[in-house]
Amino acid sequence: MKVFAVVVAFLVAVATAHESCYSQVDQACSKINSKPGLDQELIPCNATYGHINIVTKDLINFANTHIVRSFEYLLMATHYGNYQMNRAGFEKLFRGLSDEKWHEAIELIEQITTRGGVMEFVPPKALNGVEKTNNVYQLYEIQSVAKALDMEKKLALEAFNIHKEASGRSEGKHDPEISSYIEKEFVHDHAKTIRKLAGYVTDLKSILSGPDGSLGLFLFDEYLQKQ
Amino acid sequence: MKAIVAGTLLLCTFALVKGEELQCSHKQEELKTDPNWTDMKHSCINSMRTQIQAELRAAMQYLAMGAHFARDTVNRPGFAKMFFEAASEERQHAIKLISYLLMRGELISDVSTLIDSYIGVEKTEWESGLEALKNALQLEAQVTKKIKGVVKVCEDQPGPNDWHLVDYLTGEFLEEQYKGQRDIAGKVSTLSKFMDKHGALGEFLFDKKLLSGEL
Ligand SMILES: [Fe+2]
Repeated sequence: MKVFAVVVAFLVAVATAHESCYSQVDQACSKINSKPGLDQELIPCNATYGHINIVTKDLINFANTHIVRSFEYLLMATHYGNYQMNRAGFEKLFRGLSDEKWHEAIELIEQITTRGGVMEFVPPKALNGVEKTNNVYQLYEIQSVAKALDMEKKLALEAFNIHKEASGRSEGKHDPEISSYIEKEFVHDHAKTIRKLAGYVTDLKSILSGPDGSLGLFLFDEYLQKQ
Repeated sequence: MKAIVAGTLLLCTFALVKGEELQCSHKQEELKTDPNWTDMKHSCINSMRTQIQAELRAAMQYLAMGAHFARDTVNRPGFAKMFFEAASEERQHAIKLISYLLMRGELISDVSTLIDSYIGVEKTEWESGLEALKNALQLEAQVTKKIKGVVKVCEDQPGPNDWHLVDYLTGEFLEEQYKGQRDIAGKVSTLSKFMDKHGALGEFLFDKKLLSGEL
């Protein structure tokens, strides 16, 4: 019985020792012939704290969604750059969105690593069950803006979801650093982009129900070039 | 006069009945055959399309390198910065090749299949900065070889040599490849000299120099 108690006490001591970076470093320093960090990683000495683990997977998915969206917008821009479509304004709009998603993907990776996470490169959930048909990015002007609007709303909701996961104060899932990051870097920008695209759909709808849609699209494209 | 009014009324009713229907598609000029102004050959176009994918794959691989060196337990922000920048550069290369095809009147169709819906990465962890730099050099050498492959296809294709594209690829793309490779090779030697006697300290110093752009 006594032996058992001693063993338990020892185990508890070891467990608590491993919880602090200092104690692990201290332990490693006292072993004269072993250097810290060489034979074992100093696990409590990483950057993770708070409830980052709850949202890491979601942040990884969010970053991967951005990469995929960036390439999709690049294809939409390409379509408007060909001589038949010849819409430099629409090309610029989608290239801008493509650049934006790409840079946000890099920033998300940096955020994940800032909080001690490891980025994983895996297909995002947004690709699940989506079969790629041949003409999916070769769309008419109003269709492509409508598609972009849908894509942006999905990104906005994904950001809301991460925010929710990091804000469960009562359930002990509280990570204000993440929720603030999502608000500052994504939430407000999404609202602006969505409003802008919805406005474009409104304009295109009225232009295309008018007598000369072709001329209307030319003028609207010219307007987009100046944005 | 009455007839005109009646006509206008009829048109309005028609529009109302049609309700929300929009005229989304408009006249498309089919210039492919008449006049026949586009002259790139299939095999050459296809090798360019493959090269666009290859540039994006390189971009993704560099992204993974950046992600690795940005980790808290790796802590090499200089390497991370360099690799993230390299990733964006590779993406720009793909965009440049796309722009070239557009300039030559291509990418009228099959745009949606130009980029795979998901591009994965082959490697996500590196033993050291030196290993990653050597990997990067290898990656660049492979890309150079592929560009030469495109040049070869566009030169030897059935039909005339595509001089302009070949000139663009050799003059602009290969130039950048060779300069880039020289730069990485130089970094590999400097870093291995740093590490010869000083190991971890050498990599630490090299990383800080990368971060402040002193290399
Ligand atoms: Fe490249």
